[in-house]
Formats: sequence, structure tokens, C-alpha cells
Amino acid sequence: MSIESYNGGAVMAMAGKECLAVVCDKRLGARLTTIGMNHSKIYEINPYLYVCLPGLATDALTVYQRLRFRVNMYELKESRKISPQVLCSMLSNLLYEHRFGNYFIGGVVAGLDPATGKTYLYAMDCLGAITIGTEGFVTGGHCEEQLYGTCEALYRPDLGPEELLEVASQAFLSACDRDAGSGWGAFVYIVTKNKVELKSLKARMD
Amino acid sequence: MSSALLPPFPEPGFSFENVERNVSLVKKGFKPPKFTSTGTTVAAAIFDGGIIIGTDKRASAGTIVANKNTNKIHKISNNIAFGGAGTAADCDQMEKMVRAHVELHRLNSGKQVPVCVALTKITQHLFRYQGHIQCALIVGGVDKFGYHLHHVYPHGSSSEVLFEAMGSGSLAAISHLELNYKQNMNLDEAKLLIRNAILAGVENDLASGNGIDLCIITPSGMEHLVDYEIPVAFV
Amino acid sequence: MFKEMQSLANAQMTDASPHKVAGFYPYADNGGTLAAIAGDGFVVIGGDTRLTTGYQIYSREASKLTKLTDKTIIGSCGCWCDSLTFTKGLHIRLQYYLYENNKPISTNATAQLVSNMLYQKRFFPYYVSTIVAGLDADNQGAVYSYDPVGSTERHRYRAQGTAGSLIQPFLDCVLGRGNQTAPEPEKLTKEQAMIYLKDAFMSAAEREIGCGDFLQIMIVTPQGVEEERFKLRKD
Repeated sequence: MSIESYNGGAVMAMAGKECLAVVCDKRLGARLTTIGMNHSKIYEINPYLYVCLPGLATDALTVYQRLRFRVNMYELKESRKISPQVLCSMLSNLLYEHRFGNYFIGGVVAGLDPATGKTYLYAMDCLGAITIGTEGFVTGGHCEEQLYGTCEALYRPDLGPEELLEVASQAFLSACDRDAGSGWGAFVYIVTKNKVELKSLKARMD
Repeated sequence: MSSALLPPFPEPGFSFENVERNVSLVKKGFKPPKFTSTGTTVAAAIFDGGIIIGTDKRASAGTIVANKNTNKIHKISNNIAFGGAGTAADCDQMEKMVRAHVELHRLNSGKQVPVCVALTKITQHLFRYQGHIQCALIVGGVDKFGYHLHHVYPHGSSSEVLFEAMGSGSLAAISHLELNYKQNMNLDEAKLLIRNAILAGVENDLASGNGIDLCIITPSGMEHLVDYEIPVAFV
Repeated sequence: MFKEMQSLANAQMTDASPHKVAGFYPYADNGGTLAAIAGDGFVVIGGDTRLTTGYQIYSREASKLTKLTDKTIIGSCGCWCDSLTFTKGLHIRLQYYLYENNKPISTNATAQLVSNMLYQKRFFPYYVSTIVAGLDADNQGAVYSYDPVGSTERHRYRAQGTAGSLIQPFLDCVLGRGNQTAPEPEKLTKEQAMIYLKDAFMSAAEREIGCGDFLQIMIVTPQGVEEERFKLRKD
């Protein structure tokens, strides 16, 4: 067993037409034991920008706090909101600083430009190698394989917010149901130009 | 607002604070993590007008395709670029570091930076980390001394070559280059040669695929052909 | 599973004696993916035709499906030599059955026989993932899946092999519909099952490097067995 899968958990972000779905599961485990059933892996940077940190929960918290510190310093110094691209570079550099003795987490950055409606998706591995989500979805965490399978088959471009919620939820829940390390429901953020909705999905509890 | 514990700027260079913890985790029986690898075919050659570098576009994590649209041709300056294989994060960060170094050198000297400056920076950095930074590179460029192509191995060794292939698909690619490379090729011949070499890697190596990128460096500048070809059989 | 077996074999070899002994490991992982969907009066089973070792391709035309009778197909992947030996042995047993009973064996009996034959090798197993697909006595589609030592279950649909973990959740979504409140649209047709199977393999070939080249599909109906081939990615 790898330490990255010690706590389990999965995340996914999907882009629609001027909207965005950011999804994570609710499980927090200690190997095969479930010790938390309401554990979000999505961290809000601002209402249009989210970072998901799947992997070892202790590292996720540490990295989030250090990232938050750097984001706050950036926003104070520059007197402007951080953009998805900058946040992605920031997280990537933070992770690569620990190239030797790495954090056991992946990273997903998902953002929406409220002015234009353009979506930004990025994923990275535990060393900060960035994948730009040009296909319209990015995944991370314990059931990455399953998520790739469902997302590749179910994703369609230019979905509206309601359809996107349905497709993202179906892809995510189906994948989690085939993974012992993730599940117990899901949190879904549906981000549109003028509204952010947080949905809590119920799913199998086993 | 800053203190000794939280400096306003992060300390430059690597942080080794987790090393001891991670070593003890491996000792306790946890498997070390798998990093995204480029799993690359990269090939390059000198032709009569300059340098041509080609790569595939796939990055893999184990047997899963982690990125279908990876950029493995890293541009250092207007006259230098490298094709990178190995750990994806290492290649990406190597580009950032060398590009900054070369740009500072250009601003300080006010001249076009020779290829050997980038090459020396890369090899010294790799040698310092004793092969732990896992980059296998083909560095190419054009400067006032001529056309240069060098291969660089993760431990920091390098040598000048006329043509070279690197990465997991290098066996297929180098066999094509060895058979078909000739001196004084024109641009079209060189493009076809590198395209076919990458294609050999893409077909025969599972970790390579998803299309071909080319980069052509001539004395008049650099041309980066993203998605030069996505063969029909691979769509 | 494969890697665990390997490390177990190595550990047993090295622990047993104080001397370092090279581990004896008689298995190979040649990849392959299988999926099958059953319906009312039909069953479809598909397998990719790529045969691999590590990052290399042995063959692009290796069929993993074998027709056993007019109503039963077996798909087998994993260690290729074990797949071949196992299906050959099964053929012989089925010939004996035919001559002794003067009728072809039923799908359900084949399914039980496969389980028994796998379990007979409990302590030196065939390293194969197996699916038996066919029509039962009532002409209903049946899909049986097996682990290497014969643990078996009858399913409506099932995916196995290297890309099994990518395909299974997709089939769960479109066929199992466990997380959907809307009623099932209509009875699953043969044509719709084929579309799902092709979608599943196309998606898997995008993301799993060991899956590709061709999808071979066998369609079993009371009228007999039809075969179809479908192109997948070749890189």
C-alpha cells in the first residue's frame, strides 16, 4: 500500500459551457477503516477558484495552509485577486520545492473567469508536473483509473449547469462505487458566472 | 507580516524537511509514490539549415495516460531548446530554471547566448544532484559558433552528437535514425526523418503516443510546430 | 494482484534460505482487456487484440476470445501462455463431454467446469482473468467472471483485465444505473449493447496504454455466433 492511498479519497473537476463542476468524495479513511464521513478535499480560494488536494490528509492540510499563506501575501502585495494560472504555478512550485521528500498529495486547480465565463482546469502529480485539462475534465486521488474510465466515456463538451451536474455526479459516483477507498457521498460545487451552488450528494455508504 | 518561521519569500532551492519522514515511511513498508513520467520518444538531428527536435505528446503515470497533450519541447531562448524525457516535473522545472538563467545572461551581456551556456547550467545542476533529478535531455541550438546538438543524461554527462533519440521509445527511434540519417539534409528531409523516428517510437512504445511536436531552430529563429502530425490511426 | 504475487514469490524464496536466491517467477503479464454484456436473447463479449509485455507490443492481432460451442464464448487474458494452455485444456474437456453425452455442453455447465479447472490449480494457478459469455437454457444472456483460482459469479455485465477498472464503472453507470432514480429507458437491445461496448473500449484505449489496436466482438444469439472487428488506437 502506498501512503498516498492511506486516507483514500478522490476529486474531479469538469468544465461545461461557462460553468464548472468541482467534485470530491466525503470519505476519510485510515487504511481500510473509515474514520470520517464528511471530509471535503475541496478548498475555496475565492468563489471562482478552487483547489482540490487528494492524497494524504495531513499533507493536504499542511500544503493548503502554506498555499493559503502565499495566496494571501500575493493578493496583499499585488492588490488583485489571484488568477487560476498563477495559483496553478504557485502550487506547482510549492510541490516541486519538496522534490526530495515530497508531499503525498496530488493537486487539481479549477477556476472560472466571471467576466468571460472561460474555464480553467489543471491537474498535477505530487511533484507539481502540470497537466492542462484541455479535454474538459481533470481527476485525482485514489480512484483515478475509474474516474478516467467514466469521464472519458460520459463527458461531452459545452454542457449547461444542470446537465453538467448530472454528468459529473454520475461519472464521479460510478467511479467511487468501484473503489473501496473513496465514497460515502460527494460534494459538488457548480460554479457559474453569477452563482455558486454547493450540492451534497448521497451515495452508497459501504 | 513575516517572521523567521514564515518568511515573506520562500527560501530558494529545495526543501528537505520531509525527507526523513518519507524515508521512515518507506522503511515501514509503504510503497514510494509513482511520479508522472514523460514516457517519451524524443529525437533530434542536425540538418544543413539548423537543428530539428521532435517529441511525442504523451505523459504517463504507470499504465495510465496522465496527459494527452504534453509539451516536451522546452524553449530556453530564441536560439536554444531541449527535448526532455524522464520525470515530467523535473523537465518542466529544468526549463524554468535554465530559461531564467539564460535570459539573465542575455540581459547582462547584451548578446545572443551561446548554446554551451545553457548546456553547462543543465549539466552542472544535474551533476550536483547526482542523478536524483531524472532528466534525459537533447539540447539543441544555433549560435555564432554554429549548430549544436548535445545529449544529456541524468547524472550530468553530455556529449555532442549529429543525431540522437532519448526516452522509453528511443530504441525504435534511434534505429530509424541510424538507418536513414545522412549529412547535409534539407529541411523537408529532416522533418520527414524526425517525424518517422518519432512515429517508430509512438508505434512500438506503449508509453509514447498522442501525436508529434516538432521544433526547428535556424539562424533566423525558432519555429515550434505543435501537433505537427496526429496520424489517422491514432485518433 | 500480479505485483503482489510477484513480491510474495520473491519473499518466500529469499526468506526460506539464508543465502540470496534469485526468485523463481514463472508468470508474465501480457495485458488484455475483456468486457461482456448480457441481454434478453443475446450476449455480446469484446476483447482487445493487443498483446504486450512491459512497454512493448508483442502482437496487435492476438484474439482473446474463443468460441467453445454455438452458444458459449470464453475470453481469457493475463499471462498469455496460461490463457492458451487453459483454453486448449478446456477444449479437450468439452470434446470428451460431447462424445460421452452426445450433445454440446450448456453454458451453465461450461461456467462450472471453468471454475473447477481453475481451482484444480489452486497452488500453482493459471494467471488469467476469464469471462465466459453465452446463452443459458432459457436463451437468456449469461456472463460469468472468474479470478485466477476460479472464484466465480454470474453477472449482467462485466469487465476484466488491464482496463477493467476503467470500463466496469462506466458499465455500472449505463447498465447498472445504481445512482439513478429515473426508470430504465427501455429493454436493452443487442445494438445498444454493442454501442456501449465500443464506447467503453474507445474510452479505455484513450487512457490505458495497454489497451488498443482492435476490438474483437462476438455476438451470441439463438441463431449462432457472429463476429465483428472494430478499430481502436494503435499508439
